[in-house]
Amino acid sequence: MRVENCFFCGRPAWPSKGITFMRNDGKSFRFCRSKCHKNFKMKRNPRKLKWTKAYRKNAGKEMVVDSTLQFAARRNVPVRYDRELFAKTLKAMERISEIRARRERVFYKKRMAGKRARELAAARKLVDQNGHLLPRLRASTKKELEARAAETGVEVEDLEREELAKLRGSKKTRVFGREAIRQRVRTDGGVEEIPGSGEGHMQEDGHDWENDDDDDDDDDEMDTD
Amino acid sequence: MTWKDIAPVPTAQEFIDIVLSRTQRRLPTQIRAGFKISRIRAFYTRKVKFTQETCSEKFGAIVSSFPILTDQHPFHRDLMNILYDADHFKVALGQVSTAKHLIETISRDYVRLLKYAQSLYQCKQLKRAALGRMATLIKRLKDPLQYLDQVRQHLARLPDINPTTRTLLVAGFPNVGKSSFVRSVTRADTPVEPYAFTTKSLFVGHLDYKYLRYQVIDTPGILDHPLEDMNTIEMQSVTALAHLRAAVLFFVDISEQCGYSLKAQCNLFKSIKPLFANKMVFVVLNKMDIKTFEELDPEMQAELQDLTKSGDVELLRASCATQDGVQDVKNLVCERLLAERVSQKLKAGTASNGALGSRLTEVMARIHVAQPMDGVTRETFIPEALKGLKKYDKSDPERRTLARDVEEANGGAGVFNVDLKKDYMLADPSWKYDKIPEIYDGKNVYDYVDPDIDAKLTALEEEEDRLEQEGFYESDEDIEDEEEEEILQQAEYIREKHKLIRNEAKMRKSLKNRAIMPRKVQKKSFAELEDHLDQLGVDTESIGLRARSQVQPSRGRSVTRSRAGTVDTDAMDVDSAPSAKERLRSRSRVRDRSVMASNRREDGVVDETARTKAERQAKLGQRKMNRMARQGEADRHIGATMPKHLFSGKRTIGKTARR
Repeated sequence: MRVENCFFCGRPAWPSKGITFMRNDGKSFRFCRSKCHKNFKMKRNPRKLKWTKAYRKNAGKEMVVDSTLQFAARRNVPVRYDRELFAKTLKAMERISEIRARRERVFYKKRMAGKRARELAAARKLVDQNGHLLPRLRASTKKELEARAAETGVEVEDLEREELAKLRGSKKTRVFGREAIRQRVRTDGGVEEIPGSGEGHMQEDGHDWENDDDDDDDDDEMDTD
Repeated sequence: MTWKDIAPVPTAQEFIDIVLSRTQRRLPTQIRAGFKISRIRAFYTRKVKFTQETCSEKFGAIVSSFPILTDQHPFHRDLMNILYDADHFKVALGQVSTAKHLIETISRDYVRLLKYAQSLYQCKQLKRAALGRMATLIKRLKDPLQYLDQVRQHLARLPDINPTTRTLLVAGFPNVGKSSFVRSVTRADTPVEPYAFTTKSLFVGHLDYKYLRYQVIDTPGILDHPLEDMNTIEMQSVTALAHLRAAVLFFVDISEQCGYSLKAQCNLFKSIKPLFANKMVFVVLNKMDIKTFEELDPEMQAELQDLTKSGDVELLRASCATQDGVQDVKNLVCERLLAERVSQKLKAGTASNGALGSRLTEVMARIHVAQPMDGVTRETFIPEALKGLKKYDKSDPERRTLARDVEEANGGAGVFNVDLKKDYMLADPSWKYDKIPEIYDGKNVYDYVDPDIDAKLTALEEEEDRLEQEGFYESDEDIEDEEEEEILQQAEYIREKHKLIRNEAKMRKSLKNRAIMPRKVQKKSFAELEDHLDQLGVDTESIGLRARSQVQPSRGRSVTRSRAGTVDTDAMDVDSAPSAKERLRSRSRVRDRSVMASNRREDGVVDETARTKAERQAKLGQRKMNRMARQGEADRHIGATMPKHLFSGKRTIGKTARR
């Protein structure tokens, strides 16, 4: 049994999953899910669809050239089973995937270099031009605060600042389900927790298939602008 | 060599018709006396020339389509000479070609004359004369053309004789069974009748012997008289005998049923003997079923034996009626002929000193007769282990155990399962029953199995170390900046706000083809105003107080047009406070006709430049709206395809449109 890669999207298609098409010239096409099968039947080019591995590789979004990628290869000489060799292989596989994950992380970092700067520049511009849209204290609130200040004897400015901070600090993202812990993958492969992040959306920690799509899309938009 | 595709030769009259009608059809026919004389001349010159060209073309085609006798194989040449008379044939073709030349001369002359013609009439007469003379010439060709057509028809029916291939030639007196023989050995359907000269021309049949095709030619019978006295039918046989390099089968009817004595037949053989030079000759004694060779009187036997004395002649026996010996004759003759031809070719290809000629060398180079193992004989290989093996015997108690016995011992078919792993060839037999990992960590293990994995892995580790040292994995962790975080948050807030604003505007604008409400009709509640101002940081208390103080609860019917009770007390137009007079006016006048306080078109426009500028601005402002144009009368519109009122009801009288 083998884990084959989807002909269309390149995702692994595990045994019993997906569907195989055998063309009458003997070539077989394995699809991981009906989505890929349908797209294939529609004669779409996987290189032109952003969600496929082919597109990502073509667009330079994935590590394509690396020595770790050369280990898994189709060999034309069959190798007889050998217990030692297989044991060694399993160990090697672990090590290779570890190294590969590290390198992919570096690759991603390099690819994303400068993204935050661009984002920031855009944000600054936006804030500069649309300052009037930022939350302000309502007249009624101000009045209320003044009343409270008179009552409690605290400075009005302090109260106002506090209130404004509350207004501006409110985030639209809310936690669903269990508590989200923000984590970050270090280049050495370790995972560290981002301090002071009790809330906020979950971030996937493993660097695996399709994990940084959102980032990429943002990135792309920046480039085209 | 076939002449089946010679085009039919028209008769003289047909020829004239073809040529003239072609001239008539292919050339312009409209000509008037009023035309320029050069044009008229050109018109008629063209007619004459065209007629001549057509004639030349047709005659040329006829001449070239017939075979040229001198180019033919001597056999065909002589055959044609006999059948059609070479002189006659040549004269006929010559006449045609002369006519072609004459017609060209006529055309030249008349074209020359036409240059000096002064009128339409003169031109026409010259043309008539030219065409007339051409027609006369053609008419004179009546006989040659007729003859050529006959020749053509006969040529097309001539058998397809290849003079160079393997050929068996059947000759002999009439009615001795030549055609019967050809009929029985080939697929040819030669006529066989019990009278002399059934076969009046050459017939060709084909037979296959040892994957080679042989041509069998059935000739008409020959009578024993001098060559000068022979008729056309006999001459064909003689031609074939003279020119074809073939094996001749001279048929002799020893029963003398054919009406010619055996003596006469032997004499014929002797008299045509000169024709057999350099050929293999077989004397076939036919009709053996009636009379055998042995039944002949010894004198005749000696006579026949005498024929075979001189070199290549052999005596064969056959009976076409009973098919006895026919196949033997065929086989023997074919065999001999083939051997003869091969030896002749070899002889021709070999020079006097024994070296092979270039063509023969080429052929020999292409022939390779393989000898297995260069002639070394190999003995059968029997493995050592099998040599002492006893022959398997089911009843022997000491017999070998087979897989079948194992199956029986372990529960038989359906219960026992063959152990496939037992025969695995592994370095260590104890590994045979290992569970071999197939998938590990989402990857196929077998893809990674590689005998030199160690070397590769160490290389990778080295590379990893190097990268580590080079600082490949070091990266400056981005420092979280408070200020930057805030900016980002604010931007996010603004983006959200933009979206909301956009959405709201969209909601407002989506009229869906309804009329645009004038701004003043649109209502905005006081609460909305108050909320907005509050949001902007303006104290709204005083405004609210003022507004509320001015609203008086109305008595009786509402002043506005809305129905009582539906009017919002907080409505915007509270501060209008209409006087009694105004109220009256607004009631009495249609709202649409109410006069504006000022002409907004003229308002604020100082001079002409300001006017144009304002207009340009207005157009610019309108541009986007025009681009996203709404449905208008200029747009394509498909109404009801079959309006009911036009298609229903009686249709006997009156117009459909009036219904």
